[in-house]
This record gives sequence, C-alpha cells and structure tokens, in this order.
Amino acid sequence: MSERQLLVGPFNRVEGDLEIRLDVRDGRVTAAYANSPLFRGFEMMMLGKDPRDALTVTPRICGICSISQSKAAALALGQVSGASMPPQGALAAAILHGVENLCDHLSHFGLFFMPDFARPVYAGRAWHDRAVARYTAQEGSAVRPLIEARARLFHIVGLLGGKWPHTLAIQPGGVTRAPDARDRIRIQTTLRAARRVLESELFGGALEAFSALSSIEALEGWAGGDVALFSEISADLSLGALGVGPQRYLSCGAYPLAEGRVTKAGVWEDGRVAPFDPAAIVEDVSHAWMLGEGAHPSQGVTVPDEDMAAPAYSWCKAPRLGGRPVEVGALARQVVDGHPLALALAAEGGVRARIAGRLLEIARLVIWLEAWAAALDPSARFMDTGPAPRDGAGVGLVEAARGTLGHWISCAGGRVGGYQIVAPTTWNFSPRDGGGVPGPVEAALIGAPVGEDERTPVAVQHVVRSFDPCMVCTVH
Amino acid sequence: MSQIETFYEVMRSQGITRRSFMKYCSLTAAALGLGPAFVPKIAHAMETKPRTPVIWVHGLECTCCSESFIRSAHPLAKDVVLSMISLDYDDTLMAAAGHAAEAALQDTIDKYKGNYILAVEGNPPLNEDGMYCIVGGKPFVDQLRHAAEHAKAIISWGACASYGCVQAAKPNPTRATPVHKVITDKPIIKVPGCPPIAEVMTGVITYMLTFDRMPELDRQGRPAMFYSQRIHDKCYRRPHFDAGQFVEHWDDENARKGYCLYKMGCKGPTTYNACSTVRWNEGVSFPIQSGHGCIGCSEDGFWDQGSFYNRVTDLTQFGVEANADKIGMAAAGVVGGGIALHAAVSALKSAQKKTQSSKEEV
Repeated sequence: MSERQLLVGPFNRVEGDLEIRLDVRDGRVTAAYANSPLFRGFEMMMLGKDPRDALTVTPRICGICSISQSKAAALALGQVSGASMPPQGALAAAILHGVENLCDHLSHFGLFFMPDFARPVYAGRAWHDRAVARYTAQEGSAVRPLIEARARLFHIVGLLGGKWPHTLAIQPGGVTRAPDARDRIRIQTTLRAARRVLESELFGGALEAFSALSSIEALEGWAGGDVALFSEISADLSLGALGVGPQRYLSCGAYPLAEGRVTKAGVWEDGRVAPFDPAAIVEDVSHAWMLGEGAHPSQGVTVPDEDMAAPAYSWCKAPRLGGRPVEVGALARQVVDGHPLALALAAEGGVRARIAGRLLEIARLVIWLEAWAAALDPSARFMDTGPAPRDGAGVGLVEAARGTLGHWISCAGGRVGGYQIVAPTTWNFSPRDGGGVPGPVEAALIGAPVGEDERTPVAVQHVVRSFDPCMVCTVH
Repeated sequence: MSQIETFYEVMRSQGITRRSFMKYCSLTAAALGLGPAFVPKIAHAMETKPRTPVIWVHGLECTCCSESFIRSAHPLAKDVVLSMISLDYDDTLMAAAGHAAEAALQDTIDKYKGNYILAVEGNPPLNEDGMYCIVGGKPFVDQLRHAAEHAKAIISWGACASYGCVQAAKPNPTRATPVHKVITDKPIIKVPGCPPIAEVMTGVITYMLTFDRMPELDRQGRPAMFYSQRIHDKCYRRPHFDAGQFVEHWDDENARKGYCLYKMGCKGPTTYNACSTVRWNEGVSFPIQSGHGCIGCSEDGFWDQGSFYNRVTDLTQFGVEANADKIGMAAAGVVGGGIALHAAVSALKSAQKKTQSSKEEV
C-alpha cells in the first residue's frame, strides 16, 4: 500500500496554464484537484464600458476561440438592443464560427492529443513506430499537412472576417462583410481542398461514410487513415474505459440559422434528453478564490479573493446545472443531437469517446460548411442596422469547439452594469462545489493509473487532453 | 558555439530543399524591404552562422500570438522558424511536459547563456505578488526575470507584452504590466498588435537570426520596417476618405461600394502597423477589407480609448499632422497630395524611405 501526492503541471500542448494535484494510492488516482492558475478579470473590466466594446474586448479572452466569444457577445447584445441577424448574416456568421471550430479540432488531434503516443514510454508497442512517424510533436508527417490545411481554412475567415485571430466582423445585426460571388467560389474551393486533405490523411475515406457510422463496432472496423491508427492505439491502451466523466452532457445547440439551430439543444443523461434550462445554472464559488455567494450568471459578480484562502484551490468558478456538474464539448454536442455513433460513445464516456466524438464532428462539420457556402446569396442583406444597446439584459449562448459558452450582460444608460461569462472549460475543469462534488475532469481522473516512478503520468495526460482544455477561457 | 548547428543545417534536417531555401531567402529579403542584392547575403549568413537559440515564454495572455505565428504566410518560413524554436523551449508547442519542460527551460538557459533571444508572449501580472499567473508553481514574473537575466535581447510579442492589452484595461484587476516595465536592463523589441501579423513576426525573428542584430527601431521600440506607417497611409479605401465618401451604416450602399470606414470609428488614421500592406491570413484580407474599422490594436492603450465605434476626433495626440478640422476639410473634398506621393512607390520601398527620413528627424 503506497500513498503519495503529485502535482502535475505546467501542462504543455494545452491552451494556457493548468495544474492538477493528484492523490495517488496503489498506483491509481483517488482524487484530483484542477487548478487554473491564470486570472485576468475580464468581467471586471467590462463594467462601465460601452456595451459594444464587448465585441472587441471579450474575444481577446482567447486567441483560439475568439469567434465563439465574439458571437456570444453579439447574441447577448442583440437581446439587449432587439437586433437580430438577417438569414444570410446568420449564415455567414455560422461559416466563420464553423471554420474556427473545425480548425480547433484539427489542432487538438494533430498538435495536442496524438503526440503523447509518440512518447518513449510506449516504445515497443506495435503501433509506436507509426505514432512516432506521424505525430512526433512538430515533426511527424501528419502534422505539417494538418497545419497547412488549417492555415488555408483560415483564408475563409480572412475573406469574411478580415483577420484571424480576433475577428471583428460579427455584430448583433449580422456581419460587416457581404461576400460577393467570387468570395463564395473561393470559400467553396478552400473547403474542397480541406476535404481532400482530411479524406486522404485523417480519415482515409469519405467524410460521408465516416459520419454514417452508427456503432462502436463500426468505428473499430474503420480501416482508413489516422483514425485507424487511433482506434488501434485506443484498443491496445483501453482508452475507452479511461477517464470516464459524469456522463451528463450539455449542448445549447450549435450554429443558429434563420430556421433554427443546426444541432439540437438539451441535456443528455441515462439515454434521455431533457430540455436545457439556462435558468438552472448556478456558479458555485465555494472552492474558487472568489468572494461572494454562488449565483446565476445574470446575477453573478467576480470579486477575486486576494488572500487565496482555503479550501479554495482555483481561480475557476464551478458552474452547475440543476446543482450537478455536466460535461460539454464535441461529444456532448453530437450526443445531444442524437447521432447514433455519439449515443453509443456516450455510454462509454471516456477518452476514446471524446476523441471519436470530435472526429465525428470534423466529418459532419465539413459537410455542413459546404452546404452553407453553397447557400450564400451575395445579393441578400448581411446586416441590419439597429439601435445601440442601452438598457436591459441579454444572454448569448453558443457552442464553441470545446463546448457550451454563455455571455450574460446587463446594461443601463448605455453602460455595462454586469457581465458574466461561463466558458466550456469552466464547466469541464471546474473545481469542487459546495457539496464537495468534483468537476468533470476531476471525476474523470479518478482511477487513472500512475506508474511507480511517473511524475507526469501519461494516462493523466491523455484524460486531461481528451477534454481539449482551454485554460485562458476558463477563468478569463 | 561550434556545437550549435547553422540555420541552413536546421532547414535541411527538416527536409527542406536547397531550392526552397533560396526561395525563402528571397522572400525574406522582400519582406524586410531589402533589395535582391541581399539574397546571397542572407543565404550566406544562414549557411555559416550558428543559429540563434530562442526561448519562448507565455504570461497573462490568450495565446493569439502563437496562433497567428503557426499559420504564418509562407509555410516554409513557419516551418523553419518553428523548428528552430522547438529545439529550445516553447511551452505551448513543445513535446515535453511538466517537470521535464521546466528542466528543458533551465537547460536551454544554461547552455546558451548570454546568447539566446527571449520571446515573451503575454505579460506578468504584478498584483498579489504575481499570483494571478502561476507557471510551474511560481509566479510568471519570476520565470520572466530568470529567463531574461541571461538573454541577449527580448522580443515582446503582441499588445500584451508590449503595452498590457485588454487585461490591463481599467481597473486592471491583476496589474498586468508590459515587459519593458519589469525588465529594464535588456534591449527590448516591441512587436505590438493583437495579435501581430504572422509575417511581421517571422520577419522580425528572421532578421535577428540572420543578421545577428536588432532591426532598426522607432522611438517606441518597434521595428521601423513594419511600424513606420499608418494603416491609413496605405489603406486601399484611402481615396474614398480623400473624396469624402463614407460608410454611414453597417451594410449600407456605401459599405457595399467599399467607402471609407472613418465615420464607423476606424482607427486607421492613428494606427501604425502593416495591416494594409502585408494583410492577414497569408495576405487574404485585413479588418478594413472585411468592412469593419481598424480598432488600433497595435497602439498603446487602444483598449481604454472610449468606444471602439467612436470616430477619431483628436488626431493630434499621436503626433499626426492633421487634426479633426483638417480631416473634416479633407472629407469635404480637399484631395491631398498624399495619393500621388504613395501611388507609384511600392509599399515596402516606401516603408524603407519613410524609415530613413524619420531617422534624420530624430
């Protein structure tokens, strides 16, 4: 019987800083405490500003999902001023947002997640040589085509949004750039090139065929590309059973278009989907270095505890839905949307499920993007001008790459009176709540194996990275 | 020193051909505004000089600078510069993790003492003894001071490291502080922008690696080759400004015609950066081209200048020659000599010229 404590961090190949404290007994994690050691105080800076400044300031929370932030801010401001996007404006915003999410998924798989399998600790495994050849950090043969495909995809954001990161084009009333017919063709060409890279490198098969998979057996039988390599690795290392989360999945529904959101909204648990009620969110602060009481984000405040008093151990608040932790992300989105493969993976709920959920979303998202680009109508209106937001409250809920993101704003007299943000990784990497219930990643780490002489246990790395944490968003 | 490989060797070991290498040299020369005569010089320097090691650290930030960098214009430039950095230390992209990563940082510092460039992305928060940003159990400001101690020079990437950026917005909850206010005894190059343009980042770093010296800086410490002109000076919508043709509302008829965004709050007239010449995402576009005004993200304090959609009313505060009245006159149809002045000369040549003349003034 051996007991010890481990402090794992800083993590590399995650966005931002992260530390995790582990209690280990007999080679297994018995408790985990996730700490987000970076605090900037965006919610405090917004107070007293012109509400429209949210469109510029809040995207700078995160250089990876800045379009998600800007879209959430635009939707929240639109609720205050009564503005909404014309159908084509919503479509262009969906293309901008979809491209960013797609690119995030590609970086995660190629740059952040797979390189762990090229580590020497796995030398001797049947697949290790191939993992090294394909995914050694920055050198593997898969890495360059993925980065290049990603850079080219961002041309679309360049065309529609001027620049990336920190695009300014999305406004409450639509998008500032009305694409012309030539832009539409360039977008379609770019998407076609991306499809080719994904089908030849990542999937080794048609995106339609992959997105039609409906069971775990079918996934395991997929023989093409790096997906097959991942399946082989995950079977060998039993990644399906590693890092099982709360198995309660939330999605607010991705990509609002004129005819509704493209994916369904809801909360999945035990095979049933219940409606998502944003009013049931409470941000608990019992274990965060924050003063005040737990509150709904529309009433919440951000007052850092300068004493950093125990039992708190993170800058991250602990959002709970109906008093319970939920997992968000690509898997959650696909599960709530009812995709058969995702539903099969939901019951598994571990590292493989999260990665496969993301792969499934990559395949589906490219198909959607192609359809949206084809539906662009250069002669239509892309933005309606409305009054500036002055008085009232609003909420903007979107699905960022890593999961559900919400902005809650209240304004009076043309000034911001309250601004609260709940980011995807705030959900997934939340600390314990008042009842001592651990957050999703803390729960998922319990039972992870830790070798006798491991100081940065590789299984822990897999679990943490399977969530694709974005720590800069988490605490903002 | 001889144990450090040359830039060229690094490129070759990355599978880059001789032909691509020469192409890279000419692209670099062009990006830096140097004539064709410099191509062999750059090539020679890269073949013979040991490469300069780079340590890249991250403070209070959003990682947008790294994101900009890894989709840099020419894939070759990105590969090369990334591969050089990866040899040393970058905590977002490197392979090592946890304690191994901390050890790698120390090894790099020891191995290249006094000879490496420290690239800083983000900034240190000083409130609460720096506890708002913890790296490896210690405040980031400590890591920064430690890594800076033996650095040859420091590059402040982006608005965060250069000026503070949005996290320093009132009331600056964490006392986010730009690098030059913490490290005062080292040469610092500021490469502002939120984020900086990828080509500007690779251009600056390549210049330093190739010529083993800092590029010429303006009075604010920015590389003059990229920051000596206003967005406005080279904006493709400038003729509309001079002709008094403005967008009045989002997506109105004038917006579709590509009129000037000055009335929509564009900060192009007071912002020094290369967006309107180099552009973004491999030269595809830049914010004004997408129909949204410039927000001035490469200027000090851009985050606390009132609403981003307010019109620029006092142009004199940045030492610009025209004030609001004169702008009004220009808007009324007084076409300045500016167009003729910058029509013929290429952007980069002109940037060079401007640099020289501003040097004489100083």
